Amino acid sequence: MQGGSSGIGYGLKYQARCISDVKADTDHTSFLTGTLSLREENEVHLIRLSSGGTELICEGLFSHPNEIWDLASCPFDQRIFSTVFSTGESYGAAIWQIPELYGQLNSPQLERIASLDAHARKINCVLWWPSGRHDKLISIDDENLFLWTLDCSKKTAQVQSKQSSGMLHYLSGGAWDPHDINAVATTCESSVQFWDLRTMKKTNAVERAHIRNANYDMKNNHILVTAEDESGIHIWDLRKPKSPVKELPGHTHWTWAVSCNPEYDGLILSAGTDSTVNLWLAPTSAEEEATSESIAEPPAQHADPLLNSYSDYEDSVYGLAWSSREPWMFASLSYDGRVVVESVRPFLSRRVGVS
Amino acid sequence: METDDVPLDDKAKRMRDLLSSFYAPDPSSTDNAPSNPGTLDAINTTSFDADQYMNLLIQKSNLEALLQRHVEMAAEIKNIDTDLQMLVYENYNKFISATDAIKRMKTNIVGMEANMEQLLDKIMSVQSKSDGVNTSLFEKRERVEKLHRTRNLLRKVQFIYDLPARLEKCIEAEAYVDAVKFYTGAMPIFKAYGDSSFQDCKQASEEAIAVIVKNLQGKLFSDSESIQARAEAAVLLKQLDFPVDSLQVKLLEKLEQSLGDLQLKTNDIENASMKSNDPKQGKVSDSVHISAHEGSVRGFAEAISAYRVIFPESEEQLIKLVQDVVVKHFETTEQYVKGRISSANLLCVLRTIWTDVLLLDEVLSEAVLPVFSLEAAQIALKQHVASTFNYLLQDISDALVRVNASSKEAAEEHPLQVALEASKKAVLQGSMDVLLDFRQLLDDDLHLLVQLRDFIIDWVQEGFQDFFRALYDRFLLLSGRNSSSRQDQGLTGAHGEKVLAGLVLVLAQLSVFIEQTVIPRITEEIAASFSGGGARGYENGPAFVPGVICRIFRSAGERLLHHYINMRTQKVSTLLRKRFTTPNWVKHKEPREVHMFVDLFLQELKESASEVKQILPQGLARKHRRSDSNGSTASSRSNQLRDDKMTRSNTQRARSQLLETHLAKLFKQKVEIFTKVEYTQESVVTTTVKLCLKSLQEFVRLQTFNRSGFQQIQLDIQFLRTPLKETVEDEAAVDFLLDEVIVAASERCLDPIPLEPPILDRLIQAKLAKWKEQNPISP
Repeated sequence: MQGGSSGIGYGLKYQARCISDVKADTDHTSFLTGTLSLREENEVHLIRLSSGGTELICEGLFSHPNEIWDLASCPFDQRIFSTVFSTGESYGAAIWQIPELYGQLNSPQLERIASLDAHARKINCVLWWPSGRHDKLISIDDENLFLWTLDCSKKTAQVQSKQSSGMLHYLSGGAWDPHDINAVATTCESSVQFWDLRTMKKTNAVERAHIRNANYDMKNNHILVTAEDESGIHIWDLRKPKSPVKELPGHTHWTWAVSCNPEYDGLILSAGTDSTVNLWLAPTSAEEEATSESIAEPPAQHADPLLNSYSDYEDSVYGLAWSSREPWMFASLSYDGRVVVESVRPFLSRRVGVS
Repeated sequence: METDDVPLDDKAKRMRDLLSSFYAPDPSSTDNAPSNPGTLDAINTTSFDADQYMNLLIQKSNLEALLQRHVEMAAEIKNIDTDLQMLVYENYNKFISATDAIKRMKTNIVGMEANMEQLLDKIMSVQSKSDGVNTSLFEKRERVEKLHRTRNLLRKVQFIYDLPARLEKCIEAEAYVDAVKFYTGAMPIFKAYGDSSFQDCKQASEEAIAVIVKNLQGKLFSDSESIQARAEAAVLLKQLDFPVDSLQVKLLEKLEQSLGDLQLKTNDIENASMKSNDPKQGKVSDSVHISAHEGSVRGFAEAISAYRVIFPESEEQLIKLVQDVVVKHFETTEQYVKGRISSANLLCVLRTIWTDVLLLDEVLSEAVLPVFSLEAAQIALKQHVASTFNYLLQDISDALVRVNASSKEAAEEHPLQVALEASKKAVLQGSMDVLLDFRQLLDDDLHLLVQLRDFIIDWVQEGFQDFFRALYDRFLLLSGRNSSSRQDQGLTGAHGEKVLAGLVLVLAQLSVFIEQTVIPRITEEIAASFSGGGARGYENGPAFVPGVICRIFRSAGERLLHHYINMRTQKVSTLLRKRFTTPNWVKHKEPREVHMFVDLFLQELKESASEVKQILPQGLARKHRRSDSNGSTASSRSNQLRDDKMTRSNTQRARSQLLETHLAKLFKQKVEIFTKVEYTQESVVTTTVKLCLKSLQEFVRLQTFNRSGFQQIQLDIQFLRTPLKETVEDEAAVDFLLDEVIVAASERCLDPIPLEPPILDRLIQAKLAKWKEQNPISP
């Protein structure tokens, strides 16, 4: 829509797919991102937004042994994060700790706390419980769901339980319910499955093909947002898994990632392979009105859910993260390694009703 | 004295004052203002002191003034003297005339007394004489009176005895009015003495009366009698204390029976008008039926009016009855309207009803039938409009569903084209027919319809508005776009997905057609013959808002077109997904031939192209557009950006070279890849291809390849290049995307060494030969 003058840019050396908000850092708005380069030496960048909010500063640059396919910051310790990496032929996942005095060291090494090495298949992601301190971790590979017990002080991680997703269900990712410590959603080719971690049994499923990404609404229980290859974004009320509560058109090409704002109700970001990031407003609190909404109504009567489309990217955008410290800021990462941090402030006051 | 008061104004005034002061009861009140004796003006007051006055005068005035004053005073004194004299004279005059009057009165009174005494004497004598006459005649008069009374009594007795005979006579003469009068006259006597002296008489006359009652009843019920006669009979019966109510009820029942006959007739009319669809004989039989019906209604109206005269107080029942008739009429009409009928037929029915109503209104205007039937007609017409639109909607969706059915058989060469034409026709012709149909309603001069004109206009407009909304919903339902309907249609979607895709395209094009052709035509038509209206109030604006409908269908067209492209790319996506997730790319073997997914991909594209070709128009300037995309506007923009980028990248030389080239290329992509889809064959196909290639790139990015895997991709892409360019409008973009896939593959390759060009060429040639073998006819 408009030029990227509003965004603050930061360039990575190589291509990259994943970015994560450092939630545990309450003093700064910072993000962690890792590069994806098959043949070069990969790096993890710790980026911090300067106090004026006008600049992105590299706080730490750490080398990482392999290309990074997934990266997640620990929600209770800003120095700990997890990565999923690949050598091209094999996959691995590990928990890392940023060394204490990294500011003074010249080329600091990441300290590997634990490696999640029980996987035999391609690993997709590692999940932390998003709402607070919890000593469990989840890792998902193509076929299995692992629950780990992590002990940071002893630097160990042990498999607590493991469950196969069943025949012909290739898992592609997942999300941990921030409202329920025992509920996890996993995405696979034809559906979203829901698991109870106590019994490691499937509790529910939403039948939907080609889901790329799923994200729980931090504010509203039972609300899950999914992104799909061709058919856009769907918002589900998990109590009514038959049909979505709301449908958003998504992107011109695939919708790769969705993320619900941790603070403002119904504010959703989506990133797509059409090199745009879209900001949506789709409150589900008025869901009655939404489901009965007749499409025959003149379109003018319904406000366009699309608040803004950030199109100043030069390649597909795969990485997306809201800042939990400043919930009107988000970071996006396009495949060419460009991090853009933007504020959605200009679009908030108008419709979301935030001062 | 009074005559010369103009020059002597002062004088007269003074005179009058003096006279009034003379007659005034209290002289002191005249000079209520005690004037100051110290001034010269005090001369006229009671408190006048002559000495003081003199002193004052002397003191104040000089000699000349005094002399003057003297002269004045002398004159005044003289004046006053004459006044006084005149006053005295006048008083005296009045006194004299009063004495004269008194004297005359005295002389007149003296002769009166003698006359009065004479009068008294005469009155006394008259009185005594009249007393004498009175006493002498008293006896005789008493006798005369007695005799007279006896005679009257005798006459009455005679009447009673004669009554039976007289009644007989009346019956013979059918003079029932007299008979009833006689009988009712005799009734008090019969009541008093009927059990004793006049028993026989009473019996006889009662018998006679019974006969009369019977006759009267007969008369009342016989239709041949004149209405007056029947009314009279009813009145007489009532006078005879006959229970009229039961009669009334009976008569009413009779009327209700005839109502049933009327109802049947209405059905006949329906049948007739049904038949009248056949134009030759319809008219004749129609009119026959109508006239028959009219006859019966006329009869009914007469009966009603008769009844009304007979039982004037039964109006309410009659009104109810008549309204019943109308209600039933309209009930059948409503039933009738539910079916598929033309406005002409409805008009026919309405006309019949209206003539009935008019006929009935003549005899019973209190029933306010016109108003009543207006309301009923309003409902019926509204239903008619609604049902007409319903049938139109049904027609169109039938035409569209036929697409599904017929293209399944695939017997026709261009099933989609046929379907599109059919549905276009269904929409345009259908709505034109509907309008024409409704125009008949408007053009008719039937009073009923003229009054409802505004309403009809509004309904038709509203009808169109709702109709197009419903049509839009139907489109979405058919396209399976509605997620709620997707579950209902799960089955059809599963086995007829290919067909469905074509249908979506047809719907998209149909939406455009509706927006661009049908709506303007209808708007025109409505403006021409359905303007006005406004019964629903101007603040709401006109009921039919073409702008809104156009907007709906424009967005619908776009959505459907996107949906079609989505459906197509989705299928290719599944294909690609399978291709890229199944093999182990890291352990790929050396490429021997072009992979078969390419065939499938091209097959899909061909299918889509054939569908698109049937439905969408060809783009106008194919060549021109291609040059456009490489053209000045795009490149100028990207150049500028590129310069920007270059300066920046100079500062960051550390960046890998790959990234730089990558960035430079990406500007081109930004300009070209995701353009707006247009309603042309090329645009749709190009968009589909672009989206598929982009998907291909994304799939490649998710894998890691060994050298052979990379070479396989290179080979497949190289092969795709030629056939894709042939089908696609925007060659540059496709070229770029294909390059992009190879770049992505090389990035994801552990050992990116491309195939030697000769080997590449050889493999492609082999594939082409094979391809030609398999599709000998295909271009």
